[in-house]
Amino acid sequence: MNKFLRTLIPSDIAKGMAITGKHFCKVFFTANRRKVPFHIVSEYPEVVAKVQPRYRGRLTLLKDEQGEIKCVCCLACEKICPTQVITIEKGKKEGRKMPYPVRYDFEMERCIFCEFCVESCGFDSIILNHQFELATYNREDFSLGMEGLSQNMFEPSPVGKFSVADD
Amino acid sequence: MFKNEEMEINLGPQHPSTHGVLRVKLRLDGETITHCKPVIGYLHRGVEKICENQTFFQGQVWTDRMDYCSAVANNLGWAEANEKLFGITVPRRAQYIRTLLNEFNRLASHLIWLATHALDIGAMTVFLYAFREREDILDMNEAFCGSRLTTTAFRIGGLREDLPPGFEKMARKFLAKFPTCLEEYENLLSENRIWKKRTVGVAMLSAEDAIALGVTGPVLRAAGVPYDIRKAFPYAAYAEMDFEVPTQTAADTYARYLVRMAEMRQSARIIQQCLDGLPEGPVMAKIPKILKPEVNEVYHATEAPKGEIGYYLVGEKGSINPYRFHVRAPGFINLQSLPKMAEGGLIADIVAAIGTLDIVLGEIDR
Repeated sequence: MNKFLRTLIPSDIAKGMAITGKHFCKVFFTANRRKVPFHIVSEYPEVVAKVQPRYRGRLTLLKDEQGEIKCVCCLACEKICPTQVITIEKGKKEGRKMPYPVRYDFEMERCIFCEFCVESCGFDSIILNHQFELATYNREDFSLGMEGLSQNMFEPSPVGKFSVADD
Repeated sequence: MFKNEEMEINLGPQHPSTHGVLRVKLRLDGETITHCKPVIGYLHRGVEKICENQTFFQGQVWTDRMDYCSAVANNLGWAEANEKLFGITVPRRAQYIRTLLNEFNRLASHLIWLATHALDIGAMTVFLYAFREREDILDMNEAFCGSRLTTTAFRIGGLREDLPPGFEKMARKFLAKFPTCLEEYENLLSENRIWKKRTVGVAMLSAEDAIALGVTGPVLRAAGVPYDIRKAFPYAAYAEMDFEVPTQTAADTYARYLVRMAEMRQSARIIQQCLDGLPEGPVMAKIPKILKPEVNEVYHATEAPKGEIGYYLVGEKGSINPYRFHVRAPGFINLQSLPKMAEGGLIADIVAAIGTLDIVLGEIDR
């Protein structure tokens, strides 16, 4: 008899429907009113996505106040990289005591964004910036380096500009 | 007359309910499974071999990529195995933060299990609600170590950095709302007749079979064996925490659901204790720049969300690479119980059996 009643009155299903209904009402009555933002998801390409301060994005070479490259070619980042994406060629520049990187190649397609390179750097000359829109159309664009390449390591990624759908 | 012929079918490797690239060879008699054989290896990357060619410091990034739903738990096992090998004591604050993050990770992993398991069986709503809460935990991961999934959270000897400002606020905010969220899931599922019909008495695995197969984690505890490495062999700061090991005796899919739900409550309790009793002090021990092992071999087991994850490391004297590295992956060993669970059952129930094991193929194939 009890079982029959339970089959007749689906209280468990009603309980579930009440929860879904509650959430539906919450969204339905607040969605278009700016007062109570109830959006869990953000409308990403239209709204710029925010990342946390420690976010690990693309590797970037830093320059000091005089516009000099801070890297002194100690090769610590090259050694510690688990996927061997960094290649540095040591060189000299006139008027500079410390060694100067003639080439600083970075193969982004293999990079796993672990930040070990930044951790190993004793001169604070590299950081991982906050960029996450790193897709490109060609494989060549993933080979980053110093000036002269399509993506150099001082400027932000060119793809980032197009991600905000304002046109 | 009808001829009773067995039919062979393949489930997967591209099937959404196999949670990745798992292929299951099934032989069916009508709708009953007579023979079941999981075929793995589609995601093999050779993590163990890669780690043998890298230094002890570098190896951690590969453990992220094994069980990508619980990367922090993998990192913790790796870091502690290495500390055992080098004889390093970790500062107390670092131990607490490790415990804190590991428990958050357990919540995230159980939430993704609940979401996908319920989705497989047909409860769509829970999927969205569970992912909503998991998002907050991933945000906390991002705030702490800069990455959401492949965390690389710990270092040999402690942590890279202390907790970021605002982390405690985020964590407390999450803890305040999480019990109501859990109640919501339980209201949706626990008494639901469809959920109960799909799970009660489905995919049974008795305690004897579970122990014989080496199954660990919630699957073992749902069979009534209260084995939890956090209690049995305490590591990190678990010895100072007050928590229970939830068990059930029914040994079916529904019991495993109940165990995992109770475990989430206990995890929230541990996080609360970690936040309240967070000691001051440094987060990194003093370690030499180049790590060279003193002991020959080490096996360290920790309780990952899926079961016992063990790291076996053999060090060579004077070498900076491990001579041999092996992972006892919980998913790999739990998967071996799938034939036992599925054979004799209906074909529709194998989806529940795969879901209840909570496997991640990245870890099984490695």
